[in-house]
Amino acid sequence: MGHPFWTKQRSYFCYDNPAALQTQVQRDMKVNTAQFMSLYAWYSWPNVVLCFFGGFLIDRVFGIRLGTIIFSVFVCVGQVIFALGALLNAFWLMDAGRFIFGIGGESLAVAQNTYAVSWFKGKELNLVFGLQLSMARIGSTVNMNIMGWIYSRVQDLLGYAGPSTLGLTLMIGGVTCLFSLGCALILAYLDRRAEKLLHKEQGKTGEVIKLTDVKDFSLSLWLIFVICVCYYAAVFPFIGLGKVFFIEKFRFSSQEASAINSIVYIISAPMSPVFGLLVDKVGKNIIWVLCAVVTTLASHIMLAFTFWNPWIAMCLLGVAYSLLACALWPMVAFVVPEHQLGTAYGFMQSIQNLGLAIIAIAAGMILDTRGYLFLEVFFCACVCLSLIAVVMLYFVNHFTGGDLNWSAKKREKLQKVAATEAEEQERLRRQNEDDLAKLQPKPDGFSLRNKYLSKLGAQLPDNYSSCLSTMVHRSVLK
Amino acid sequence: MQYNPGWNSSSVNLLHVRAVGPADTLHFIWSSIGAPAVLLVVSGSRNSTLGIDWTRLLSPAPAGAVWIDPPSSVIYSTAVVFTKVFEYSEAKTEELFYPTYDLSDFSWDSVNRTLNHTALTAEFTGIPAADPSGSFSNGSLAFRVTAYEASSRDGPLPSLLHTANSSKVEFVLAGVAPRGNSSRFVLEVATVEETGVAQKLRSTRSIDDEYTPTIFETLSLVAESRNGSSARSFLQWKATAYGSPSPRREDNIQCRSRGLQAANWTLPVSSIVRAYFGEGAGSTYTVSAINISFGGEDGKVYQEKRYLSWSVLLGFGQPPQDTFSPLVISIMAVALGTPLLMLLVGSCALLFTQGKRYSDYEPIN
Repeated sequence: MGHPFWTKQRSYFCYDNPAALQTQVQRDMKVNTAQFMSLYAWYSWPNVVLCFFGGFLIDRVFGIRLGTIIFSVFVCVGQVIFALGALLNAFWLMDAGRFIFGIGGESLAVAQNTYAVSWFKGKELNLVFGLQLSMARIGSTVNMNIMGWIYSRVQDLLGYAGPSTLGLTLMIGGVTCLFSLGCALILAYLDRRAEKLLHKEQGKTGEVIKLTDVKDFSLSLWLIFVICVCYYAAVFPFIGLGKVFFIEKFRFSSQEASAINSIVYIISAPMSPVFGLLVDKVGKNIIWVLCAVVTTLASHIMLAFTFWNPWIAMCLLGVAYSLLACALWPMVAFVVPEHQLGTAYGFMQSIQNLGLAIIAIAAGMILDTRGYLFLEVFFCACVCLSLIAVVMLYFVNHFTGGDLNWSAKKREKLQKVAATEAEEQERLRRQNEDDLAKLQPKPDGFSLRNKYLSKLGAQLPDNYSSCLSTMVHRSVLK
Repeated sequence: MQYNPGWNSSSVNLLHVRAVGPADTLHFIWSSIGAPAVLLVVSGSRNSTLGIDWTRLLSPAPAGAVWIDPPSSVIYSTAVVFTKVFEYSEAKTEELFYPTYDLSDFSWDSVNRTLNHTALTAEFTGIPAADPSGSFSNGSLAFRVTAYEASSRDGPLPSLLHTANSSKVEFVLAGVAPRGNSSRFVLEVATVEETGVAQKLRSTRSIDDEYTPTIFETLSLVAESRNGSSARSFLQWKATAYGSPSPRREDNIQCRSRGLQAANWTLPVSSIVRAYFGEGAGSTYTVSAINISFGGEDGKVYQEKRYLSWSVLLGFGQPPQDTFSPLVISIMAVALGTPLLMLLVGSCALLFTQGKRYSDYEPIN
């Protein structure tokens, strides 16, 4: 049953390949930082649109099995083209490779989750999601720390550093994507067997996307979107550019810089399930989001304005990042009715990718022209924007009597009350229906004869009279 | 700026830059007679002038050929000489040194053609008189001098902040063929100080890299008098060099400075220095030397671009300190201030409405 995990790990391994090899990419391909960050931007561009269609494609067009295989193929092909671009010294080809990789990557995640839901129902599901995320994060971490080492081995092998060295290194990294494809094929085979043997249905995402629902989104939801975009824009591009930052400012060696860059992922691997449990038990989501955003702000300020040991700041960042993920995404479910949930999540991911794509390139340009201090100030400003949105969300929620910041106990209590109320209403409704049914004229011969005879004025025994029973029930009718 | 004052030929170069302040005059005398050197003399009078005895200066014993009128107004004097350029390539474990380029054996072009009186720049370009390896066939070594009239910041990288008390000299290697596969270059810089003044190498690490992106370290070679601790003169540079005439962040070449040591051996072969300070090495003045090395982990940037440029600021007084730009400060102020303000306003509104709520509604039960 480990297969779903392995597919996700391999594709996450390749996502952060550029960050691990920033110096090498910039030197061998002779690109400045803005062009380097376009490698991340091209990954995000297809997902601006694809987030809406991923669920649809999996449910209606391909089916979960074929869908996973197709997306894995995209991931592999994308990584191969990416490496090929390096080998042929064509940077535009590398961008194209990242674009194709992006098409496969995010949709593969959706397919992942669908498999998990289809195979692990009930309580185990949270654990499964947590483990999936951990596996993905471990994949990123391994990539960060290994790719630099692979590059130096390849360089020793070839004797020089150039585009071919980079290309060969990326090809080796891309082999892991082949494992991902292999796992997808095995998974499809197992799922088909399960369907035949256990008569299990093919999993479905169950997502319904209706773009017209967007106009119904409340102010709270838009504020949540703002928080999401601004926060992740200050984390992922920072990690993308972080390695050289630690080498230049804090005089770290290359390995140390890779290690500290990956600490955010290493921390979020175990902390995500823990924080998930915590937020579920305690509730009060907005307060947790506020804590996470303030911690991130403190971490960026520390990195920008002091020479304090950056391990502290990065550990704080890792903790804050896990906390935010666990507290923010469930809030969407609280403010959006269930039939709009698919659209809301799709929209959130779409603008998150849009924000990431734009900010990635902006960050690269800022670094080239103004340096790291200005870049950190820019990230601080993004986090502050997110902070403004959280504060506004708190007050909007408070003044409109919203339920985002309820503690878990209160939510449970109100859910119970709502459940009993719903039951009571259901009972009354059923009773009314029964009553109404009794009052309706029965279309059988016996009652028709009774009605005719009573109209004629013939005397009928009491229990055969229909209008008497009407009068009995009249007091009950409201 | 004066070129070869009192001398008509342009086979030798001497550039005299005079900066007149409210109470003193700074004389920068740049010359390539012998090793390229600059003599900085600070005079307490606004009307001091430079006197040169050319015949003595160009003779083998130039002591006393350069002086400042009136001699009693001289407050402080120092000299900086660029003596040698080393080239080495690093094999796996050892360093292989190629024959040194001795800058006193170079022949220099006439500076008159490169003199620019509006921009206050001049360029000393030279190639070795004897070039057995042919590395200078397509290239040259140059020192670009810029004088400043006011405090401001340089436009192109590394955007050194300068004051009116300072001048910039840029060491440029252009088109010189490296003699190895991963050659690195080292420039030896010697300073001559009066007795009672000691040289200290200071490295300042700042969080601000706005003006030289990704470079956080500024090095200063500061001459301080032994009894007081006020800086008399300084050489200041950022820990980087650039590999392109119009440098951008990605052109940077790693630059390291090491080995500041007192060098009481023979004085650098610069006529200007000997002419001004006389021959008393060790007694009337002290000599120190430092090596500035260029080249990263693999020396590749120079290999491809064949261009190296390193800028250093020479001046009198305290070295200038970089500060945050107003843009950074304003962004941080707005970014941090707005949420705080909102929190304050929101909390006030919260307290206000809570008080109000209790008065509007009566309890039902």
